[in-house]
Amino acid sequence: MTSKAGPSCYSGDNSWERSYKHVRDNHKIHLEYTNREFETCLQHIEEVLDANEGLAEYPLYVKALIRRRQGKIQESLQLFQKATALNPSNVLNLKQVGRSLMLLGKYRSSMEVLTEAKRMNPDDWEVWHDEGICNAKARNYEKAVECFKKANAIHPHDTTYLALGGVFSAMNKHKKAVKVYLDGLKASPGNPELLMSCGLAYLRSDENYKAFEMLLKALSIDPKNPSTILATCSMIQEHADLDTALLKYRVAAVVNPSSSQLWNNVGMCFYGKQKYIASIACLKRALAIDPFDWIVNYNLGLVHLSTGQHASAFHFMSSSINLKPEYPSSYMYLAVILSKLEDIENAKAAYNKALSLKSNYLFELNYAITLYSFDMLEESLAHFRRFEELFRDQSRDAGADPDILEQRRVLANAHGIDLD
Amino acid sequence: MDPLWLAQSKYRRRKYQECVEICTENLHRNPYDESFWYLKCRALTAIDWLDDIELDDDTLGDQLLDENAIAQMPRPGTSMNRPATGMSTAAGQLRTRTGRPVSSTGRPVSGFARPTSSALRQGTSLERALGTAGGRRMMTARPVTGSGRYVRLGTASMLEHCGDSFIDSDKIDIRKYAKKPGLARALGDYMLYVDHNPKRALELCSHSTKLTDYRDWWWKERLGKCYYQLGMFRDAEKQFLSSQKNCCTVLATLDLCKVYMKMDQPLKALEAFEKSLEKHKHSISLILGMSRCHDSVNNIEEALTLYKQVVQLEPSNVEALACLANDHFYNDQPEIALRYYRRLLQMGVNNAEIWNNVALCCFYSSQYDMTIHCFEKALALAVDEGMADVWYNVGHIAIAIGDIGLAYQAFKIAVSVDANHAESYNNLGVLELKRGSFEQARSNFQVAERIAPHLHEPKYNSALIAFDAGDYEESVEMANNSLEAFPEHEDSKDLLQQLDKILSLL
Repeated sequence: MTSKAGPSCYSGDNSWERSYKHVRDNHKIHLEYTNREFETCLQHIEEVLDANEGLAEYPLYVKALIRRRQGKIQESLQLFQKATALNPSNVLNLKQVGRSLMLLGKYRSSMEVLTEAKRMNPDDWEVWHDEGICNAKARNYEKAVECFKKANAIHPHDTTYLALGGVFSAMNKHKKAVKVYLDGLKASPGNPELLMSCGLAYLRSDENYKAFEMLLKALSIDPKNPSTILATCSMIQEHADLDTALLKYRVAAVVNPSSSQLWNNVGMCFYGKQKYIASIACLKRALAIDPFDWIVNYNLGLVHLSTGQHASAFHFMSSSINLKPEYPSSYMYLAVILSKLEDIENAKAAYNKALSLKSNYLFELNYAITLYSFDMLEESLAHFRRFEELFRDQSRDAGADPDILEQRRVLANAHGIDLD
Repeated sequence: MDPLWLAQSKYRRRKYQECVEICTENLHRNPYDESFWYLKCRALTAIDWLDDIELDDDTLGDQLLDENAIAQMPRPGTSMNRPATGMSTAAGQLRTRTGRPVSSTGRPVSGFARPTSSALRQGTSLERALGTAGGRRMMTARPVTGSGRYVRLGTASMLEHCGDSFIDSDKIDIRKYAKKPGLARALGDYMLYVDHNPKRALELCSHSTKLTDYRDWWWKERLGKCYYQLGMFRDAEKQFLSSQKNCCTVLATLDLCKVYMKMDQPLKALEAFEKSLEKHKHSISLILGMSRCHDSVNNIEEALTLYKQVVQLEPSNVEALACLANDHFYNDQPEIALRYYRRLLQMGVNNAEIWNNVALCCFYSSQYDMTIHCFEKALALAVDEGMADVWYNVGHIAIAIGDIGLAYQAFKIAVSVDANHAESYNNLGVLELKRGSFEQARSNFQVAERIAPHLHEPKYNSALIAFDAGDYEESVEMANNSLEAFPEHEDSKDLLQQLDKILSLL
């Protein structure tokens, strides 16, 4: 906590003795407050307020601060208002009234108070920052951006950068968010929160390598932050370095054992290592924590498909589709599961649904394989041709999965087609 | 036929009412016939007999006016008021409350409904005690004073016309009867179980004990019972201990442990159980009593090994089987739990709860086709309170298969069957939140919170909503409430930390 010089107290009385006593009291209150001796501080404040019939600005101000820390924001607001009534020319009081209103979720009235404060002191970054937060909470993103930029122009702060980046992320402008975070990092290169947010913004704008770099930096500064670990590990996992990822998840699991995403990722690590039982256990735990997460259901469907428990796989995959009907791959897997359960009619329907959502060569290939295994040769050939078209288009710029190539070769042989 | 022989035969065949009729007739002819008098006394006692060993429900009156509390802040694990919640072992940590439903006392539910499991231990504030007894949760309301405890429901109406007219215990000459040991015992039981007059029974017992040179374990045990009914636990303890010294019986041990539990000294009770177990190695009641003791201080590991012992000795013990099944279920072993429940079904336990549990086990062990059938059966058998629970579980299954609409309906039905089903209200709130209607969600959480102040979930959810809406004051309050209900709730702690960070900014 930063300590800050509060408003001083001016009483109407000019006698030197009395004002000296006020200064001494205020000094004592300030000391107790900054030493976090809140109980004694409150007692002292009560004494001073009793002596002055409640007309002492600084003690009121500190009491309000303490009340806010205790979570009694309404009471704190009233105290700040009293302090403002005593000394309307002090911007600090007005700012705190604005903040209190903001903490109570009353953004409109908060903004009114802040505008008033701005009129008195237009060059205060905090007022601009608070107004920005109010705007962001009230979803006036454009205005929020403006406010934050002004705040930064007056005095750059990490919190402002973070808030501004957050607003850009909420507007889905991840490139801009990255820029903001990078600006912030220029001022304070060692702030783990900025590093992490920057990494996440990179990740969302599909710059994986840079994201990874940022996240690693953040991790080297704050190695126990669960969300950083989660983001980093999911990237490590993508590059198939499962043991490293598992090692890091172990650190995160101690800090935050009730995170559905964490258990989901651990489960998929085990899946990658083909330890299916462990994988199912982890995924089920993730599901118990967050039963509404479609991707956990989806993953469970995949694992059960690999273990040959098709009925269970169907169950999880259909749950996943119920929760998120617009994800095409779920339908493809559902179709594969249905074909394993020998329900070709529904499998075909599922393939068609998947293809209607998105045309993808993998869907076509699987469709062709399924149809072939059910002796529907002509339809299978048609879908294989479509697969070839899509595959040739896409495989030019990206290296293809060897598994797909193998299946392609087998199916081509079966159909008697000469590849190349 | 000799009427006395006939009456005896009726008594032996448990036709007590007929036995009483024959005796009354003969006593009418000759009021001083001791054999008929004795038989009638026994028969009447048998009609009103009830196993008070099992019956140690704390009544509301006892709790509010409890003068027997030993320490205000007992060490964790030594008192039922402050059970050890998080155990230090690695296996124990997984068994903390997060995964398990809790009873109204805030303790993980065991697999078996016992008298004490509805008792109110934590936070015996007057308001809360009255709140639970006063009709909010009608189903679990307990008798308000002690006199209600010793009356069996079915016999309550018969009490008047068959009891009072026979022996007036206040007028009887106790000294005279004490000299006749056989009659005295019958009379003692009659006073305790039919007349509910522990004061007179106490007099009789003390006279008889004196006459037997303080050596008879039976009289001492009854003396202890009298003291217990009068609420003088320390004296009761003394009598039971001395009875045990004369002859170490299972009965006296059970009585003794009941007293210890009443005085909230589970560790001492365990000690007594262990001592008695040395003599009676295979007594199921003793082992069961011990495991209940362990349960009451949340020492689940120990309790389970004991339940396993019980099942080895008596493979058809319902309580032990149910508890084991319950534990396996919550330890992610639904298949094994299913086997236990199937055994219970085979033994003839056929109620909604069992079918409900079977359904859940089937679902979680991926036998989906059975699940719906079992739920249907459970619903067919269910009475009101059970019905709400079954629908609540149906709602959970619906969530698991991703059918949010069905889940919503199931929870709504649960709430309509039992308007006090707080868990359903909480889940309805969560579903509303998913739909995006914050106000509805909030009111649902508030209802849940009002009905069941012991649940931390609705409080935490309210805190989260308030946090998201930016109302930090309410969020702080709710998060604190949630921590009060469940002091180890990690998410609430996290939320409070976040709030503290925001609020301490200048």
